[in-house]
Amino acid sequence: MARYDKMAYGSAAEMIFGSAKNPITYGRGFSVGAGYVYPELVPHPRPGSEKSQKSLVKEYEKMVIDVLDRCVAIGIPGIQIELEHVYQMTRNPTWGGEIAAQTKRLMEDYHRKYGLKSAIRATIADYRKPDEEKIWDSEALRVMLQSFEASAAGGADNLSLESVGGKEVTDYTIVRQDIRGVLFGIGVLGSLDMEHVWSKIVGIAKKHGATPGGDTNCAQANVAMFMAGGYQDRSVPHTFAALTRSIAAARSLVAYEQGAKGPSKDCGYEDPIIKAISGVPIAMEGKASACAHSDLVGNLAAACCDLWSNEAVEYHDMFGGTTVAVFTEILGYDVAMMNSAIDLGKAKDLQDILVASDKYRGMHGFILAPDNAYKIGQAIVANSQSYYARARAAAIKAGELMQQDSKLIMSSFEREALDSSMRTLESLPDKEADFISECVELYKKQVKGFEPKNYGL
Amino acid sequence: MTLASYANILTRYDLIGASEVKEIKVTSKDTVIQEIMQCVIEGDTDAIGGLVEKALINMDPLKVIDEGLIKGMGEVSRLWADGTYYLPQVIIASDAMLEGIDLCEAKLGKKMEKKGVVVTHTAEGDIHDLGQKIVNALFRANGYEVIDLGKDVPVDDVVAAVKKYKPLMVTGTALMTTTMTAFEKISNQLTHAGIDIPFVCGGGAVSNEYVTAYKLGVYGKDAQQAPKMISDVSNGFSWQELREKYN
Repeated sequence: MARYDKMAYGSAAEMIFGSAKNPITYGRGFSVGAGYVYPELVPHPRPGSEKSQKSLVKEYEKMVIDVLDRCVAIGIPGIQIELEHVYQMTRNPTWGGEIAAQTKRLMEDYHRKYGLKSAIRATIADYRKPDEEKIWDSEALRVMLQSFEASAAGGADNLSLESVGGKEVTDYTIVRQDIRGVLFGIGVLGSLDMEHVWSKIVGIAKKHGATPGGDTNCAQANVAMFMAGGYQDRSVPHTFAALTRSIAAARSLVAYEQGAKGPSKDCGYEDPIIKAISGVPIAMEGKASACAHSDLVGNLAAACCDLWSNEAVEYHDMFGGTTVAVFTEILGYDVAMMNSAIDLGKAKDLQDILVASDKYRGMHGFILAPDNAYKIGQAIVANSQSYYARARAAAIKAGELMQQDSKLIMSSFEREALDSSMRTLESLPDKEADFISECVELYKKQVKGFEPKNYGL
Repeated sequence: MTLASYANILTRYDLIGASEVKEIKVTSKDTVIQEIMQCVIEGDTDAIGGLVEKALINMDPLKVIDEGLIKGMGEVSRLWADGTYYLPQVIIASDAMLEGIDLCEAKLGKKMEKKGVVVTHTAEGDIHDLGQKIVNALFRANGYEVIDLGKDVPVDDVVAAVKKYKPLMVTGTALMTTTMTAFEKISNQLTHAGIDIPFVCGGGAVSNEYVTAYKLGVYGKDAQQAPKMISDVSNGFSWQELREKYN
């Protein structure tokens, strides 16, 4: 399988929000990465609304109308809505298909009446169980693919996924601070799974004239990041979570090698590295996703974004309207500021401000700042001989960057967690076959349900 | 562009007290027991088996368990509580302790008596069970038997397991709000069957407001609360008292 062996950008300085080397157009007059940042609003239905197709379709109808109305009310030129499937929408493909079709009808109506540009991303729920079934030959995968078909046929412009390959190994190893296992679970197993699944998604997208979007390592790198949490959490070291993130970049890249065009998924915090390598437009989330979770990159995450998202907000009333309307407004003003900066020739100034806000707030911000993201990208493309080699190189580069910047202050515990992981990474075999052999033997014993054959190993 | 100082932008509260060296406080005069204890405290799963087997040549398995393995785990819990250890150190210490206990139980020819049973599950339709796995490890590390029903568990299966195993407590984990709705159904069925034990629910989008709206429900904010909660239940706390203390 062809792997990226050069950077899309000549330098980190070229990377800026709103512009991607390979912009993409779909939906109703909607172009991503073509010199403009759009909001991407992700509505989430209330508990109980999933009890029937009728109630869930109705819930989405109300949410989408609230979003589109707020765009018109405050002058937002365009928006993407992500239909991030709850389990029931994927498990019942017709539900997801009907919600996509309904959303399309509403968007067409607002486009006709007001000229509001719009697009739909359908993100199918990956509910495969890697430790319990053959994930490449399971009923769950068959239903997921049917759900992609139904959503695309219904009117989704962009098809995306948060795939879970390798999660059985990383769930075990993240909570044991075992970087070797994380490298195996995400860098090797996750990449192999993406290769398998994304070749099918791209085929479905082509068949329906939809755009194959992207994949995020939400199921693994975000687990590490959110467990690392804030300054007072003691679940996973932040340095370890940052190494996990760099490995995730090498893995999420596989979607684009299989033919995905972007924009990437919003919760893929590894996406600045992906953009540097592939040139695809990226969706990012930061401060406006505090409704869903906390992070330490609230502003910096916007530095290179092409879509700016809220991750997910549950549908409720607030003083200022429903949550989805309120967050549409928040995102709308955020992107208006970015687009103003672009038009005023101040985009690099604003990017500097966004980066300065968070680069030294935590380890994630540090490695995802455009300069460091670019360097990690370089390490990935320089080691394109295997999924393992590039994921390991990404982690080593991220680790070196953290070790060598005197402004990045860390506790002795965090430092030891980093140094210990780096010693392990340096000691690993050079050849992918040797690494896989070592890991298969080790994790077959340790991880209940791990079956190498499920990944073609 | 790099600033000379970031002090006006952010405050690194995580560095407060980070340079303090926290010392290990438990020791044993018996060098073999000391080594086993140290092994648990360091989470050395490579060495624990050999050390315990060596100790069992001449030593009472119960002494190895009580004075080495459990005492070491107790020190790990203390180091976690005071912020010296992170969760991974607790998990690998638990791995080491449980491996040692397995060897001791084999020598004893019987299982150690557990403090009680806990039934755990992840909600139907939800495959995100990492929180449940962490809670399982913490319960086991604290001497409880865990009936692990796994993930994506139908409501009826949870209720049946509670009837069968008669646990001190049942737990539910869910990442999504649209899967956590199974918890209320479980609560209703348990209540209907006259079962009156705490049903501790947590994870992802699960909220205090939601869990405390149904009978038996106690909201678990994070995994670290699990050992304290089960200890309280062992000491006779009802679900109402548990809710009052933690929610």
